[in-house]
Amino acid sequence: MHMADALLSPAVGTTMCAISASINVLAVNKIKREELCEKKIPIMAVLGAFVFATQMINFAIPGTGSSGHIGGGILLAALIGAFPALLSISAVLIIQCLFFADGGLLAIGCNIFNLGVIPCLVVYPLVFRSLVCKSTTTGRITFATIASAVIALQLGAFCVVLETLFSGITSLPFATFTLLMQPIHLAIGIVEGIVTAAILCFVYKFRPEILESTIQRATINKSIQTKWTLVILACATLLLGGIASLFVSSAPDGLEWAIWKTTGVTELEANGKVSEVATAIQDSTTIMPDYNFREPGEGKAGKPLAGLLGGTMTLFLAGACAYTISAIKKRGRKKQTAC
Amino acid sequence: MLISKIHELYGLEQLSSGDTCVHRLNPTAKLITTIAFILTVVSFNRYAIGSLIPFVFFPTILMALSDTPYLLLFKRFLIALPFCIFAGIANIVFDSGVATSLYGIDISYGTISFIAILLRAYLCVMSVMILISVTPLSEITNSLRCLRMPNLFVVIFEMVYRYFAVILDEANSMYVAYSLRSCRRRGIKMNDMGSFIGQLLLRSFDRAERVYSAMKCRGYAVGISSRKTKNWRWPDIAFCVTCCLAFVTLRVFNIKISFFY
Repeated sequence: MHMADALLSPAVGTTMCAISASINVLAVNKIKREELCEKKIPIMAVLGAFVFATQMINFAIPGTGSSGHIGGGILLAALIGAFPALLSISAVLIIQCLFFADGGLLAIGCNIFNLGVIPCLVVYPLVFRSLVCKSTTTGRITFATIASAVIALQLGAFCVVLETLFSGITSLPFATFTLLMQPIHLAIGIVEGIVTAAILCFVYKFRPEILESTIQRATINKSIQTKWTLVILACATLLLGGIASLFVSSAPDGLEWAIWKTTGVTELEANGKVSEVATAIQDSTTIMPDYNFREPGEGKAGKPLAGLLGGTMTLFLAGACAYTISAIKKRGRKKQTAC
Repeated sequence: MLISKIHELYGLEQLSSGDTCVHRLNPTAKLITTIAFILTVVSFNRYAIGSLIPFVFFPTILMALSDTPYLLLFKRFLIALPFCIFAGIANIVFDSGVATSLYGIDISYGTISFIAILLRAYLCVMSVMILISVTPLSEITNSLRCLRMPNLFVVIFEMVYRYFAVILDEANSMYVAYSLRSCRRRGIKMNDMGSFIGQLLLRSFDRAERVYSAMKCRGYAVGISSRKTKNWRWPDIAFCVTCCLAFVTLRVFNIKISFFY
């Protein structure tokens, strides 16, 4: 479910980065205030690495530009609590983005929100804890885990749909996109739920104190955390819905509304005029009219051919530059060794 | 299989120990330039192949200057590619209006946006991979600290990266033990999955605490960063400013051409 930079617009990317960064700062402050903060650090880190190892297996979902694998958000939240889990997941996502090209640098905000904030700060306190806090039994843990894994992935997948559509790089209509994403992630969610439940039951059997202490601590802070969850959710919705859409509809480029093309979403139709102006500016500013991609049937092969040739020449030139630099460097090194 | 993952992860880091003009640049300058590059690349509209092509110079020249093996990075890009291809194919299906024709072959808007998505993906992935292959992780984390990222978060980030090898090592020895006790069965039975991963988790907890205690015994403390941060020098400022100006120029130049048009 990692989103790539290629499918994201700067407005959506930066907004989501801001949201995720502020939630992470909140989590850091929250953990710092807790006692035994330092003792928790190796546990948080090792769990991050653990999730990283279990996430190694992933598979592509057709038509969506994203991959599917175990998110691990619910597992971590159940083991160490919501806020520490969020930090671990964020660290894992950043490493995946930097070292494995899994998810983009600009898309990191979206990925942290979809795979970290939603399972750890929304689904865990609202679903998992409310199901388990009364009495902790293996059956309850299994049920709660599967339910929360499914809900977390459904919400996450829906956020992917929204973020991709707001970016407007893909032409998938909203309904088709949603219908593609939700059922696939339902299947993944059930599998993730079963695996997570098996792990949690094992841990509960051998080291019950790990799960119990997290749940107990969470129950004491329950009212505070639920309040925070609601505040975070409200802020995120406002930011995403308000600022992002304002920014998106008035920005002249890179932000074509795929969603605007598909009928039935009334909120976005209200921005029709702004979007029209934006599209007009975009049409006049894009380089593509020069290559005649915008006017079908006018000039035949002339201009696209020019574009194709120009593009190929640029690529060659870039390659030639690289080759020359390497050659000069090699010669320099040879001289050095000769000396 | 698991060991190869460790090599995959730390392969890029080995490259970052080189000593070229790119390696010597200030990590913060490199980080800022990479982010500026990605922001500029993704800000083009979805048909803008022509505008995206000049940006190929940035990763190509950086790779040449830093002696980074092209194939190694390109392989990483191929890992990220399938997802972009699927999204691009969706564009070909849903955006089928004919944009232009080349020697009688109609080219649809979808095809153009498909190529543009691939180009964007290439540029974004390569720029991040180059950043990592020319900057040691410790320098990146230090520059994150300079950029006021909370220390606790940076510490966890560093530790996750280091613990990964430890966990894979544990997982590997468990896997060997499992396969020896199950007549060299390939893969783990679904029934044993919960206890296998659970056991790995418990072992990881213990191992993590031992490693952390050992670190503390050797004088490690969360709040203290022992590594030196690089100062900004003139080449760093020149690199950062020149690149950012070049990106902005390429972005604005595009508009100017169109106004003439």
